[in-house]
Amino acid sequence: MLGHSSSIVGDEFRPGFRLQTHWGWSMAAAFFLGEVGAGLFLASLFLDFVDGMMLGIALTAVGKSGGHLLHLGQPLRAWRAIVKLDRSWVSRGLLAIVLFTGFGVLHVLDAAQLTAGLLPRALSPLVTGISAAAAVVVMLYQGFAMSHSSAIALWSSGLMPVISVTYASLGGLALATALGLETGSAERFAGSALIPTLELALIGYALVMNLSLLHAAYYGSRGGQKSVELLLKGDLSKWFLSLVFAIGLIFPAAMIAFGLQGPAAAIWSAAAILLGYFALRVLLFKAAVYDPMQSFIARTQRV
Amino acid sequence: MATWAMVFDLRRCIGCNACTIACKQENNLPTGVFFTKTLTEEGGEYPDVKRVYVPTLCNHCESPPCEWVCPTGATYVRTDGIVMVDEDKCIGCGSCIVACPYDARTRVEREHIRAGLFMHGELTAFEQQGVSRFVPGTVAKCTFCHDRIDAGMQPACVVTCPTDARIFGDLDDSESGVRRLIRERGGRAPLAEKNTGPRVFYVD
Repeated sequence: MLGHSSSIVGDEFRPGFRLQTHWGWSMAAAFFLGEVGAGLFLASLFLDFVDGMMLGIALTAVGKSGGHLLHLGQPLRAWRAIVKLDRSWVSRGLLAIVLFTGFGVLHVLDAAQLTAGLLPRALSPLVTGISAAAAVVVMLYQGFAMSHSSAIALWSSGLMPVISVTYASLGGLALATALGLETGSAERFAGSALIPTLELALIGYALVMNLSLLHAAYYGSRGGQKSVELLLKGDLSKWFLSLVFAIGLIFPAAMIAFGLQGPAAAIWSAAAILLGYFALRVLLFKAAVYDPMQSFIARTQRV
Repeated sequence: MATWAMVFDLRRCIGCNACTIACKQENNLPTGVFFTKTLTEEGGEYPDVKRVYVPTLCNHCESPPCEWVCPTGATYVRTDGIVMVDEDKCIGCGSCIVACPYDARTRVEREHIRAGLFMHGELTAFEQQGVSRFVPGTVAKCTFCHDRIDAGMQPACVVTCPTDARIFGDLDDSESGVRRLIRERGGRAPLAEKNTGPRVFYVD
C-alpha cells in the first residue's frame, strides 16, 4: 500500500495530516498566564484577598502580554490588534485585558485603601463589576479564538471556551487558596468545606469537558481523529495521560477526597492543578492537526 | 467586475512543479517560502498503483476564515475576490495561519530574508531587491499574481504550466474556461466541508 495521505507530513510535497506548528510555547504560556491570572483575580475577589488580586493582574498584564509580544512577528504594532472588535476574538480579548488591568488596579487600590478617597463610594461597585466582567472575558476569549479555527478539528468546538473558563476558575481558585492560606489572608476559609467542594466540582467538570472535547474531535473529522490518537496513543500520550489527567486532575481530587487540607496540601494541590493545566495548553497546540486535502486517487484515472 | 477563480485539471498535471518555480521567481520568494506547491499522492497496491499530482495554493475563499480571525484588518478581500494581506497592518500573530485549512499562508521571518533566494551567504543586489517587498514578521500568501491580473495578464503559474493543467478565469462569466470545466467535469472544491467557499476547483 502506497497511501501517504493518512500519515503526518512536514514541509514535503505530499498530502497528509499536517501539525499546527505556528502557535507554540510562548502562546501556550500567554494563554495559561492570562487565564490563571484572571481566575486568580476573581477567586481573590471572592476570598477578599488583595495580594491575590494584585498577582492575578500582574500575571495577566506582564506574563500574558509578554508571551504574546514574544510570539508576534511585529510586536511594536501590537496595538493594532484592537481594531477588529466586530469579528476577531483576539481584538475583543485585547480590549478585555486593557479593561481588566486598568479597572483591576483601580479596584485593588480602592480595596487596599492605599489611596483614601481615590474612588467616590458610588463608583466602587462599578469598578469592581467592570474588572470582574473583564476578567471573565479574559478567561473565556482564548477558547473562542481557538474554537473559531475551523481548520483544526480539535479546537473547532464550542467546548473550548468552556474548558478555558473551567480551568481558569480551577487554577485561580487553587492558587488563591494556596497563597491565601500560606499568608493567612484566607484563614477564615481554613477548615471550610466550601472551597474543597468547589474545587472538586471544577475538577469533575474539567474531566468531563476534556473527555467530551476528545470525543467531539474524534468523531468530527479525520484530523480530529488523528489529534485524539496523538494524545491518547501517540507520542504525546505519556504527557497527556500523566500530566493532564493523573497529576492535573486525579491527584488533587484524591487529596480533597482524602480530606488533606491546610497550607501545605493546598500548595501541592495548586501546583498539580497548574502543572496539568499548563500541560493541557501546550498539548492542545502540539496535537492540533489539519485535515488532509481530500484524496483524489479514487476518482483519478490510472497513470 | 470579475470574480477570479482557478481550476486544476488533475488529468493534465504531470507534477513537474514548473508552477512552483514560476511562482518563486515571480514573487521573489525566499528559501522555504512557497505560495503554491504540487503535492504527489500515491495509492493502490502493486501492480494496481496510482500516482496523482495535486497542485495547491490559496483558495481565495468566498468566506475566508483568515479574514474573519485577523485582529487588525490586515487580511482583506478585493472586489474581484482576491484575498490579500496588507503587510503594513499585519502584526504577525498567526491567527490566519492556524485558521486556514489549506496551508496557504507563511509568516516570513528574518531568517527567510537572510537566506535570500540562493542561500549563498551575503545577499546579492538581485536578492536584496527581490526580498525587499517582504516585511519580516508578517504573513505572505498567493495573490493570484494580482499585479499581473491588474495589467491584464494571467498568473505566472498558469502561464508557465506546460500542460495547461491550471486554468484561470472569471467565475461570473458562464462562458469562461473555469465555469465550463466546473460545469462539464464536475469541479470539486477542496475540503468543502469547511464551508469556506473556495474559488479553486479540481477536475479529474
